[in-house]
Amino acid sequence: MTEHLVLKNGVVFDPMNDVDGEVMDICVSNGKIVEKVPGNAKVIDLKGSTVMAGGVDPHSHILGSKLNVARLTSPEVNRYHPYPATRKTRSGVAGIIPSSYATGYLYSAMGYTTVVEPALPATKALGAWEEIEDIPGLDIGMLPLFCNSMISFKYIEEGDISGLAAYIAWTLKKVGGLGVKVVNPGGTYAWAYGKNVCGLDDEVPEWDVTPRTIMTGLSDAVQKLGLPHQMHFHPTNLGKPGNVYTTMQQLDALKGTKPSGKKKETVHLTHMAFDCLGVVEEGMANWKDVASGGLTFADYYNKNKHFTTDLGQITFGQSMTMTGDGPFQHSLYLMTGGKAKWSNIPVDVELPGGAGIVPFTFEPKSSANAVQWVGSLEFALSVKDLWRLFLSTDHPNGGPFMKYPLLMSWLMSKKQRDLWLEKVHKFASERSTLAEIEREYTLNDIAITTRAAPAKILGVEKTKGHLGIGADADIAVYGFNPEKTDLAKNPDLILKYFTQTKFTFKGGQQISKKGVIAKQLPSRVISVHPELNEDLSRRIDRELEEMMSKWFSHSFSNYPVPKRYREHLEMPTVIDATSIQA
Amino acid sequence: MTEANNIFKDVPCTFCGCLCDDLIIEVDGDRIVKNTNGCPISKERFVGHTENRCLQPTVNGNTVTLEKAVERAVELIASSKRPLIYGLSSTENDAQREAYRLAELARGVVDNTTSVCHGPTILGAQESGEAAASLAEVRHRSDLVIYWGANPAAAHPRHIPHYIRQPGEYIKDPKQDRKIWLVDIRATTTARMADRFIRIEPGTDLEVLQTLRALIRGNKLDATEVGGINITELEEIAAAMKSAKYGTLFFGLGLTQSWGRHRNIDAAIRLIQDLNAHTKWGMMPMRGHYNVSGANKTSTWVTGYPYAVDFARGYPRFQPGEYTAVDMLARGEADVLLNIAADPVAHFPRAAVSHLMKIPVINIDPKINMTSQVAEVNIPAAIAGIECDGAATRMDGLPLYLRKIIEPPQGVIPDRDILRMMIKSLEKVMK
Repeated sequence: MTEHLVLKNGVVFDPMNDVDGEVMDICVSNGKIVEKVPGNAKVIDLKGSTVMAGGVDPHSHILGSKLNVARLTSPEVNRYHPYPATRKTRSGVAGIIPSSYATGYLYSAMGYTTVVEPALPATKALGAWEEIEDIPGLDIGMLPLFCNSMISFKYIEEGDISGLAAYIAWTLKKVGGLGVKVVNPGGTYAWAYGKNVCGLDDEVPEWDVTPRTIMTGLSDAVQKLGLPHQMHFHPTNLGKPGNVYTTMQQLDALKGTKPSGKKKETVHLTHMAFDCLGVVEEGMANWKDVASGGLTFADYYNKNKHFTTDLGQITFGQSMTMTGDGPFQHSLYLMTGGKAKWSNIPVDVELPGGAGIVPFTFEPKSSANAVQWVGSLEFALSVKDLWRLFLSTDHPNGGPFMKYPLLMSWLMSKKQRDLWLEKVHKFASERSTLAEIEREYTLNDIAITTRAAPAKILGVEKTKGHLGIGADADIAVYGFNPEKTDLAKNPDLILKYFTQTKFTFKGGQQISKKGVIAKQLPSRVISVHPELNEDLSRRIDRELEEMMSKWFSHSFSNYPVPKRYREHLEMPTVIDATSIQA
Repeated sequence: MTEANNIFKDVPCTFCGCLCDDLIIEVDGDRIVKNTNGCPISKERFVGHTENRCLQPTVNGNTVTLEKAVERAVELIASSKRPLIYGLSSTENDAQREAYRLAELARGVVDNTTSVCHGPTILGAQESGEAAASLAEVRHRSDLVIYWGANPAAAHPRHIPHYIRQPGEYIKDPKQDRKIWLVDIRATTTARMADRFIRIEPGTDLEVLQTLRALIRGNKLDATEVGGINITELEEIAAAMKSAKYGTLFFGLGLTQSWGRHRNIDAAIRLIQDLNAHTKWGMMPMRGHYNVSGANKTSTWVTGYPYAVDFARGYPRFQPGEYTAVDMLARGEADVLLNIAADPVAHFPRAAVSHLMKIPVINIDPKINMTSQVAEVNIPAAIAGIECDGAATRMDGLPLYLRKIIEPPQGVIPDRDILRMMIKSLEKVMK
């Protein structure tokens, strides 16, 4: 069906194409943004509205076993948040861990159109594809975990980066992944022994690998394959006061990886709010002495250009922590005095994840929480280059994705920050410089950090994150006139307008209007299929069959996600990795 | 899957929660003639798949077309005030997902068999979390495996031989390096396979678990015996659990459905959590029906809740004890039952069955079962994993793709397609 559409007179923010608040018409044809459309195209007048590309969220836990364990063990977080069915939409729950349909609808209502699940245990991918069937309205990517797998360790131990790259390529193709996720390299594996790692050169039980060799091996392999998205990295020592220093050490250790293409960044450090806690001068690495690491890390970020990052902002209130970092989750449980509901999904050669889940409430009056809150804001307001940064709450860890508008309000409005500094523990003011920071994100800054930059970081910027010719017609229209609305002075309006778009278009189709879902579109899956040369391909088939048959408890042939679950959803990008020698 | 000369390899078995996926199935014409690697129950399920089949849709005992049967079923549901949809654990995920859609449309209740097996396990986890285990991990690392109130020799015949008494990467000799203990109220057939049998008094699981917790925490107890076990032996058990390198607790209905119910599970979870301060322990329910784990999972992602979900208000609500099938029936609340891939008449308590006999029942199942005998509408279905494909979830959460090996009997379609027909027709009625 050919559908033509003109969105007229909107005030457009499209930083990838250097458009900063210009009144423009956008032409849409067959789901793409085009130069012009035939005269019979449908016209929508957007005079006095703000127009941006659909939001891109590269780090949000929207599916998979850890999310279902969280839903199963904590029905109370959804109980008071029903999401009723309508004639066009399904029902569900919309608390901090919304059900699948509600997840799709809520993202659409906010103007987000691309979301990546950043922690997929590859053996459980079949379940993930089934879930995507029930998460409507999005383009979805998934990042399989490779960091605590005995198969990775075997190749890293042997210094066989070709083998490691081939294992990654094989897995991405068999399960439909978009990139490589690394979580506490070596530490989650050590958790099988009740242990963790903290230093770069710590021993990992039974294997001659270290956090350093694992992370550098994997980032080298990602570059060798030429994957569009750099290694997505959750460092060791998550959530520990003073970890900003070990995080910088780890980023330093990754400098040796040579970028393979035009993109200079070789690592994406995720949820920096959890990775960049400082300590007060002459303080100890404990919660009593914790301080914002925001400024320290911003300084490092401004000087070192080999990485990108996202905030993982905590937003206060109930959240659900879930990471592939088993030992961290156990320590969080111990911090609650063993009172919290602690769930653990074991690390396993078969399911190299080792996730933990602990419900957690971030209290404004807690000094530790207030300091963590302020650190990432201080960072975001102190960095020069916003193109290497995107906004996130590490949903649902720092809070649900539905709180992005609140995060935007903190960044866009000094008034809002001052209000919140009053509400939270005084350490937020005393142990950071936030109170003195005047900077306010402009709408262009917001467009960079919620669309353009994340699309580039994911390597999908050809079709996502902008409104130029050839882009997917994923468009968010917000119901305010940027020329007449002073958002910084009226932070409540930021919440109002960014929680519900006036219209959201996905692939040129209007899927929501004022928060009401108008049309339920099936989601699609973006994935990368690296092509290996015949020799390497034969070698990896043979070696993986041998290892998986020995180490897995199910049959090798039952590993791949069958076509029947994929072919109607998947949009694979084939990349040429045939130059990697066997 | 490899399919040569009508031999199918690596076929997942669709009987119990082990979902063993190493079966070799041989087909001759329209019959399965051989199942290699399967346990006796698996062999019976595959080789005997044509036995005792329901082949024709019926309404009040009269053979009708599929369309007529669906039409009658939809009439019953549409005119019902409080429809109940139940079962779902012996079918594949797509059928479950359609059942939620139907329940939502009919504003009814949908519950799966969890409510009569490991429901208390989920309630325990809602109280305390869940330190889970995985089958591959147990094989590679676990030096102490405890079965509690479970009888895998009878209910999960390959659990021990296929997953546990196998060498792993760090357990070279599964006889020497891994000990298997059984805790139960009587010496079941599993006791013969275990290295140690610990008999406890019926109804004392909670006390024994709490005692072990106290001992592991280093408390001295003023008791000479608990649950029929001498305190010295309990101290020795606690010490052994604490000094294991990697322990695993498998538990069955002997723990979930005996005195204490979800309190037992809560205590077991807390015991395992406590042990993780000293060493590594995980636990896993011995899920019975092959896809009851899948039913929890699909229900959880679609509705937010794992079972006992009510759509009366147009959105899902969760309340075990209220929206669980047995309770809905025993209270006389449900006024029509749609049963899919389960046999409530055979398994429910008398009070529930006696109400069930009074209300119209729609039964979708490949076989003739006790529920078929009382159902007003019977609709035959293809057997998932044999006659149609689909996905299911192993007891440790691993999803597996189920095969279609042979064609279903003439005119018989999968559960999901029957439910889709019902949804389509109900959508018209509800407009």
